[in-house]
Amino acid sequence: MDALRLEGLHKSFGGKVAADRVDLTVPVGSFFGLVGPNGAGKTTALSMATGLLRPDDGRAQVFGLDVWARPVEAKALIGVLPDGLALPERLTGRELLTFLGQLQRIEPAVLAGRVRELLDVMQLDGAETTLITDYSTGMRKKIGLATALLHGPRLLVLDEPFEAVDPVSAAALKTILTRFVAAGGSVVLSSHVMALVEQLCDTVAVMAEGAVVAAGPLAEVRGDGTLEEAFVRLVGGDVRRWKGLSWLAS
Amino acid sequence: MAGVLIRMKLAVLRNSMTGGAAAWMITGGVLGLLSAAATIALTFTGRGVRGDLLACALAIWTLGWVAGPLLGGSAVLRGDHFALVPISRRRLATGLLGAAFAGVTTLVTAVAFTSLIAYGLRLGARAALTAVSAATLLLIFVVLLSRVAHTLLGTVARSRTGAAITGVLLGGLLTATQSGWMVVVGLVSSDVLDDGFPTGFSTVLRAVPSGWGVVAVEAAGQGDSVRAAGALAGLAGLIALLWLAFVASLGRPRRRRLTIRGSAHGGAPARGVFAGPTGAVFRKELRTWFRDPQQWTAVALPVSWALLTVLLPLTFDAWLQLPWVAPAIALFAIPSLGNLYGRDGTALWLTLTTASQRADVRGRQWAYLVVVGPIAVVLGIGFTLWSGHLWTWPWIAATVPALLGGGAGLIAYASVAAMVPGPDAHQRPDNPLERADTTGPAQVLFWLGLLPAVPAFAVVLLGEWLDSTALRWAGAPVGLATGIALAWWLGHAAVTRLTARGPEMLSHLRTGHAPAATEPAPGPAPAPAPGQGERPAGATVASLVGGTLLLFPQGLVPLVFLLAGVDAKVWFLAMYLPVGWGLALAALCTLTGALLLARAVRLLRGKPQRAQPTSPPPK
Repeated sequence: MDALRLEGLHKSFGGKVAADRVDLTVPVGSFFGLVGPNGAGKTTALSMATGLLRPDDGRAQVFGLDVWARPVEAKALIGVLPDGLALPERLTGRELLTFLGQLQRIEPAVLAGRVRELLDVMQLDGAETTLITDYSTGMRKKIGLATALLHGPRLLVLDEPFEAVDPVSAAALKTILTRFVAAGGSVVLSSHVMALVEQLCDTVAVMAEGAVVAAGPLAEVRGDGTLEEAFVRLVGGDVRRWKGLSWLAS
Repeated sequence: MAGVLIRMKLAVLRNSMTGGAAAWMITGGVLGLLSAAATIALTFTGRGVRGDLLACALAIWTLGWVAGPLLGGSAVLRGDHFALVPISRRRLATGLLGAAFAGVTTLVTAVAFTSLIAYGLRLGARAALTAVSAATLLLIFVVLLSRVAHTLLGTVARSRTGAAITGVLLGGLLTATQSGWMVVVGLVSSDVLDDGFPTGFSTVLRAVPSGWGVVAVEAAGQGDSVRAAGALAGLAGLIALLWLAFVASLGRPRRRRLTIRGSAHGGAPARGVFAGPTGAVFRKELRTWFRDPQQWTAVALPVSWALLTVLLPLTFDAWLQLPWVAPAIALFAIPSLGNLYGRDGTALWLTLTTASQRADVRGRQWAYLVVVGPIAVVLGIGFTLWSGHLWTWPWIAATVPALLGGGAGLIAYASVAAMVPGPDAHQRPDNPLERADTTGPAQVLFWLGLLPAVPAFAVVLLGEWLDSTALRWAGAPVGLATGIALAWWLGHAAVTRLTARGPEMLSHLRTGHAPAATEPAPGPAPAPAPGQGERPAGATVASLVGGTLLLFPQGLVPLVFLLAGVDAKVWFLAMYLPVGWGLALAALCTLTGALLLARAVRLLRGKPQRAQPTSPPPK
């Protein structure tokens, strides 16, 4: 059984195809990296996979459960970090996590312990009385990750988890994610940073213009070069075409 | 600079002149021109009262310029748009001011201010010449005042107290637009129009800057050129001061960022009413309401609106309406608080990923009842005792629970079904006065909000007719039952809709565009036809405005006046006819108004709401 399986997921916005019959398979226990340029359809595909955006066509399954047909059971298995969405802005970090734990019916004693640990790991315990609306971009990302981890999911779907996160928190986060995978969990993350994907992931997929152009084990996709070279080749960018700006001092 | 900014503003206006926006703009322009014509007409009234009336009208125009941006959002071009462009603040200020003059509102106001010239012409050539400068200076004054006031109130509204004050101001504005005719009735039934205003009042009207133009024109007419020049110089001086304030406001804000703190504690209660998911949402909502300045505005608005509506008729010694403050608060809260999901923006994703739609809707309903209920009940009891009209108890006891419960149902359903996205919750602009424009749905909610009270009201009315105390008091349990049933049923409908269309709502919040309005199926969803929902916007606006005008001031009010034998003609057409014909006309207006409003409701239900895009579509 696969942790996540996307079959022919399709979405268009006003005639523009954002995700073009996306097929992806994320094996259980894999650390999966989804890369692609801006506007490639990564967020669209991940939103459809997690029940946040209704696909025009196709299916998304989590551990064999259809996300759109059996949303309650499927969503209990996944932890999601969407990119650029709001949170209940007038709560503190602790209040947000406690509130979400109650929604997911986690025992109050267990919940209190998890919240304390998460705030500690994310180094958010210094900002006890700060409302989320006053958080910095990095802090928002960290509290978002904490919400994804709170209920102990089996699959994490993270959209740009390392964007704007400082190196210390990023290191802590990498440790959490690699231990999670080592213990049998599965992670899907999207990123622009090739080095990071190369360092963490064992399986990758490259998206461009809404379609998956390559997918498989890291070594297979990148071939002999680096992932960045493979990426530029697959996405079709031609570095030689880019000239400097004529008026800009060099 | 000014030329570039004017062209830029016209380009923005042109791009936003589509469907509903264009219809609202044209309606507003026409109504504004009518008001301008009425202002000019004031200079043709009786000799003794002309100046007073004109000064009064100019004061109202000035107030409108201060209050307008509070209700209708922000300026098209703002100083912070150009923060990184290397030009001096003075040049930027000149440019922005120039752009501010290129607009429908400025044009309409300029027409209205020609009333000063019309007034001057009747006082002689010198007065007319003075009036030209006075009208020009007054126009510059109101435009500058509006910009400075917007910046100032925007800063104030960042704190919770300031936000509450903003709510009170908005309530005052709504009262002025909806119940202003009560003051007119008071004026007409007094001797003001023959004898002029009391001396004190007319002195005040001329002492405030909006009246200085009138002072200058009158002084010139009497040959007192020192006084005339003084009044004009005073206006010019004020303009200079406002100009300096405006230039200063374009700089980087030096004030400290206002931070509202949360509590460091807050574990999950193990048992009790707050333990479950619904309790969690309820506690989250109460904290949000308490900490969000916008929410303070939203609660202060209906309270001040209701208070002013029942207190205003005291100007003609009417006390009967005082007990009705409680139903009024319960009613006015509905349009003010009917966009909860729009307020929270894309935070909806948490409700979807935790599949907690039921708890979310129910928790919000409880929070609404716990905040609005006590205010309505306490003020209702206090005002009923104060008025001395203790016979109104059965009426109040019948309508308040019905309106509160019905309101809890309506705000939940409207928040889901007629959601209007604004700037997303984590991307609120610096000025909290910029928010989702809910004018259309709020209008509909106001009228729908009356319906829950109908059964209980009818029972009490029957009790009055049959003179049965038991039946009179039977209204209270009927109201309570209606309230509970509607809160449950509409809440249930909201849960069902939120569960079925949650992802579509999230897309709507994310992009600002409503996705296809069809019921979702797991399979492919049909794409919306291009331009769908744009077409009936003009018809909707016309139905709303026409329906409101016909149903209330031309229908129900003259109907009540005729039946009660009140003699106040004002602008109620039916009052100018013989009683029998008057009754028939008022009844016809009531019916037509109700039909037009019903049509507007149908049109609004059928079309997706237009809104400002909040963020780019998902990549």
